Amino acid sequence: MPKTPHIFTSNFFGIVIFTIVLSSCSSMNVTEETLYNRDVQTVQASVADDASIDYETKAIFTNATVLFEFDSFNLSSKSIQTLKGAVAAMKSNSAIKITISGHADERGTREYNLALGQRRAESVKDYFALNGVNKSRVSVKSYGEERPLAYGTDEISYAKNRRAEIN
Amino acid sequence: MKKLLLLLLIPNFIYAELVLEITQGSDNPYSLAVIDFNGPQKISKKINSIIKSDMKRTGEFVILDNSQLISVPLNQEEIKYKDFKLLGIDFIVLGSLISESKFNLSVSYDIYDVRKEKKIRTSKVFGIPNKIRQLSHYISDGIYEEITGLRGVASTKLLYVTEERAPDRSLFQLVIADADGANEQILLKSTEPIISPSWSPDSKKVAYVSFETGMAKVFIQDLASGKREIALENSTQISSPSWSPNGKFLSLTLFQDGNAEIYILNLKNKNLTRLTNHYSIDTESSWSPNGSRIMFTSGRAGSPQLYEIDLRKSNSKPRRITFEGNYNAKASYLANGDGAIFVHRSNNRFQIALKYFDENFVRPLTESRLDESPSISPNGNVIIYATTEDELGLLAGVTLSGARFKLPAKKGEVREPSWSGFLR
Repeated sequence: MPKTPHIFTSNFFGIVIFTIVLSSCSSMNVTEETLYNRDVQTVQASVADDASIDYETKAIFTNATVLFEFDSFNLSSKSIQTLKGAVAAMKSNSAIKITISGHADERGTREYNLALGQRRAESVKDYFALNGVNKSRVSVKSYGEERPLAYGTDEISYAKNRRAEIN
Repeated sequence: MKKLLLLLLIPNFIYAELVLEITQGSDNPYSLAVIDFNGPQKISKKINSIIKSDMKRTGEFVILDNSQLISVPLNQEEIKYKDFKLLGIDFIVLGSLISESKFNLSVSYDIYDVRKEKKIRTSKVFGIPNKIRQLSHYISDGIYEEITGLRGVASTKLLYVTEERAPDRSLFQLVIADADGANEQILLKSTEPIISPSWSPDSKKVAYVSFETGMAKVFIQDLASGKREIALENSTQISSPSWSPNGKFLSLTLFQDGNAEIYILNLKNKNLTRLTNHYSIDTESSWSPNGSRIMFTSGRAGSPQLYEIDLRKSNSKPRRITFEGNYNAKASYLANGDGAIFVHRSNNRFQIALKYFDENFVRPLTESRLDESPSISPNGNVIIYATTEDELGLLAGVTLSGARFKLPAKKGEVREPSWSGFLR
């Protein structure tokens, strides 16, 4: 069975990934470039790559993470800012296909969080579609709360985990 | 004092990977004297110890053994009821190994009512070699039934998921164990997450969600053969399996329209019937005991709430069940169908709560920070759920009589418990 790229593959490419740091208790996000994320790096990628995809290009321009509020799947304006770059990369290279994986923090039930992660990923997919990226180039899945980036039980960790990753 | 006594009496020989701790007994327990069974001491001690642990876990019994008695009878004739009355003991259990060989291990036991001063039950259990634990659980259930009038659950099983976090990759395991956490057997090992395991009504199969193919898929695994299959071949994510009480259908959540919707799968012909149709999340379906209704979690009111659909009426609109607070999810019906247990958020804590359908309030049953995945024992008397302590997941139980126990893993996290049906 072909394995799809793992959601934590960001650092597999050894390249800068984008994260958005949520400033506490407001929807104002600050976008940062993070060179190295301990939690991300610890997971091995199990990738059966599609040779037709230019991963170098893809990784540089489309790898992104957007964050969400609790029990919400709405894109913030900062998230949209982040996605604009990925949309541009998708448009400039029609060979790029992406997978969006949605995630939730540990609060609430696992199945509801799985559905919530799916909605988060779909929100991002909808944004790509609205901006002229063919839906067939975007696949979507959810890991719910099963693949946290941060294991803490504080709002800072939770905020990191409520995310959609574009790979 | 009683609580302290219970804590002191925790048996010190548990072979389980999960380590049972009884943290609280109920207020008005039966007092039961379990005399050491006649027979080879090693086996007899083991049997007694398992019975005591089983009985204490129900929360409805305080157990006294030989060392705590005034007189220790070896048979019916030697029982001095006065000595037992003096200690406030309600019942006495006397037993003996009737055969013990490589091929056979059988036990007989009798229960005496101290107040009535007479034998109220005499039983035999014919065992299988190397199954002393199972044999002991059967005795426990016999005692429980005789005294409470309810079927016991010591001989039932738990299904759950463990995770051992590793720097490179976590190991997820789907595990079955006795109701006391002993006798673990691994069903599935995976480096990808496993969630939502549940027993088929006949307890011969389990359904669960595994991410091993790269996305959530529902698998059905036969316990005896280990054979497994994907419940529904489909390119989308599928999750949240729940068996109909007759075992012929599986309700599932499909994500095929980009949104979680509930479907009913006919397991024989694989026909799929859509149950919900709403732009918000619908998931976590669960069947009423008679199979006529399905409860589920929906975000249609802006926050997760419980709804119910009547399957006997076509096109029946989901009826909202919970209105208390802004998070009520993952419900299961009580055995008699007149209420449900679920996860309820209150003061930013996720608790296991109970709601009777004829009441307009929620009864919290637990009080830690992050409790989830409640599952009811087949006799309806115990709820097992996942909780966290020191950032580590473990199982905990609460009985309707108010007793509490914990089943922490020796290693890693344990969660997503699901209680089997009666196996005895």
